[in-house]
Amino acid sequence: MNDWPETSESLILRVKDPADAAAWSAFLAIYRPVIYRLARSRSLQDADADDLAQQVFVSIARAVEKRTPAADGPPFRAWLYRIAHNEILKAITRRKPDTAAGSSSVQEMLYAVPQRDSDASVELLREGRMEAFRWASDAIRHEFTLATWTMFWQSTVEAQTVEVVAKSHGRSSGAVYLARYRVMKRLKEKIDEVSDIWSEFT
Amino acid sequence: MKPSSICLPKSEIPLLLSGDMPPDEAAAAESHIAECQSCRSVIESMIADSCWWDDARKSLVASATRSPFQVEVTHDTEPATTSKLLDLLGPTDDPNMLGRIGPYEIIGLLGQGGMGAVFKGFDRSLNRFVAIKMLLPHLAASGAARKRFAREGQAVAAVVDDHVMAIHCVDEWEGVPYLVMTYSRGISLQKRLSDNGPLEVREILRIGMQAATGLAAAHAQGIVHRDIKPANIFLDQNVERVQLMDFGLARAVDDASLTRSGTLAGTPQYMSPEQARAETVDHRSDLFSLGSVMYAMCTGHAPFRAESSYSVLPLITDNEPRPVREINPDIPDWLCVIISKLMGKQASDRFASAHDVAELLEDCLAHVQQPTIAALPHGLVEKSVPPCYLVSLSLHWSLCHVRCGRFDRRGNADATTGQIKSKQC
Repeated sequence: MNDWPETSESLILRVKDPADAAAWSAFLAIYRPVIYRLARSRSLQDADADDLAQQVFVSIARAVEKRTPAADGPPFRAWLYRIAHNEILKAITRRKPDTAAGSSSVQEMLYAVPQRDSDASVELLREGRMEAFRWASDAIRHEFTLATWTMFWQSTVEAQTVEVVAKSHGRSSGAVYLARYRVMKRLKEKIDEVSDIWSEFT
Repeated sequence: MKPSSICLPKSEIPLLLSGDMPPDEAAAAESHIAECQSCRSVIESMIADSCWWDDARKSLVASATRSPFQVEVTHDTEPATTSKLLDLLGPTDDPNMLGRIGPYEIIGLLGQGGMGAVFKGFDRSLNRFVAIKMLLPHLAASGAARKRFAREGQAVAAVVDDHVMAIHCVDEWEGVPYLVMTYSRGISLQKRLSDNGPLEVREILRIGMQAATGLAAAHAQGIVHRDIKPANIFLDQNVERVQLMDFGLARAVDDASLTRSGTLAGTPQYMSPEQARAETVDHRSDLFSLGSVMYAMCTGHAPFRAESSYSVLPLITDNEPRPVREINPDIPDWLCVIISKLMGKQASDRFASAHDVAELLEDCLAHVQQPTIAALPHGLVEKSVPPCYLVSLSLHWSLCHVRCGRFDRRGNADATTGQIKSKQC
């Protein structure tokens, strides 16, 4: 049903440099749900959306394989995101918005032209950023105790007041602030690892 | 401790944040920042500028609401009040009835959960009672959820198995889809567990085996349940039969929650790690949940428990549950082995199919019922085995684990199929 783990591992093998490999796996973790969701929002079925994501990654992997890094070229990470954004936009905008039968050939041709609709580009950035935060928060969560994490989450993401959170955990307000700051500091460090996602394109 | 009125020097802040500050100083700093707004702004701006904070907050909120399961169950997922549900019904001519859904006269409300309400109905044309499950109105507002509910209902209607609750009909009433099922007397496993606590080994095997058989039938048609839990396992009254209910409905609710508040309907306690991480799931996700249900039958409660639904998720993905025998010493070792294999964190660590599980449990049941005639399946050790034998066997076990682990990484799921059964003692 789902051969993702195998795919991403075999694709990773093509990226020789360990630092690049880390960038690649972060990239997969962040972008797979992004592409999937963009595709679903364009009325693709579950399986088709998975297919589309698969195709995009395969074509990106091909580009990775062919890449000969130039000494003065962009670092792998930045290069990867640029390629990826192009590929993703190409894939999702070329797709027909729905798969209803009875299209005319002219329409087919129109859809075949990759249109750079700015909506898709904005959406891609937004989704990518959101997914990056999810990825980063998943990655650092284990570094904190459950209590710290929950205090951070409730006071920062759920917008409960610090006093309420402190009371519900039987801790001081200071402990809640500290939980928030410690987690956010780590989150910032983690996000900085992949910040090219939006800095390259804004 | 009385809050210190002296502000934190800037150079101390990184130490405080990384946790490298001596505990007594950190405690003083902690009580100081609770009172001192200016220290807080200094710390915040040292972490990142205010734009980033805004961005982070928005993205985290968005990512949390996009996730099919998130944080606590909030007020709007509370079951609709009975009067609201009754508004769904059409008028009836029969004074003994509550109302009507399509052609069915409604006699009463059997129950309601996070996603649907179940009515007891009467089918006049066939002169029999039926159970009618309706998607809750607020979920039915999402077109995707409505379609999914109907589609999965149709798919499950195609599964004919003694251990899958039969669906007679899938239809829509005033825009809200409903399923028509057999009406039978009985209770859910959930009720049984909360009334009677842990079950006997024989019961655990019987219920586990029948649930696995039902799952195998559904998996054979490509249907993954996604929400195996005691509340979805129905025990017929007086008849020793187990039926699975609510196939795929969890998925319908996911769709609805995506467009709504992103809150989690119901309990995630029996979710598999891949579900908890919002990854794509296959049939082996149901096996994990089945393992959790068997754990619950042994101990009387779910393997992972926390105060909020949100805090259960990391427990599922990262922690091992408390050993069954610590809670209930009556459970034999071999049953614990089966349960922990079902509850493997990696899908590839589990059994390969529900069919295998059903067969294994059936053999175990035969052994428990007639220990002198039916032996335990190969590979499941009895305590009476001489100690030296046990050592060599456990060595054999671990070798097998290593081997299978390697097979699995190559994607050969079949490697695990015969693991327990093919081992010769």
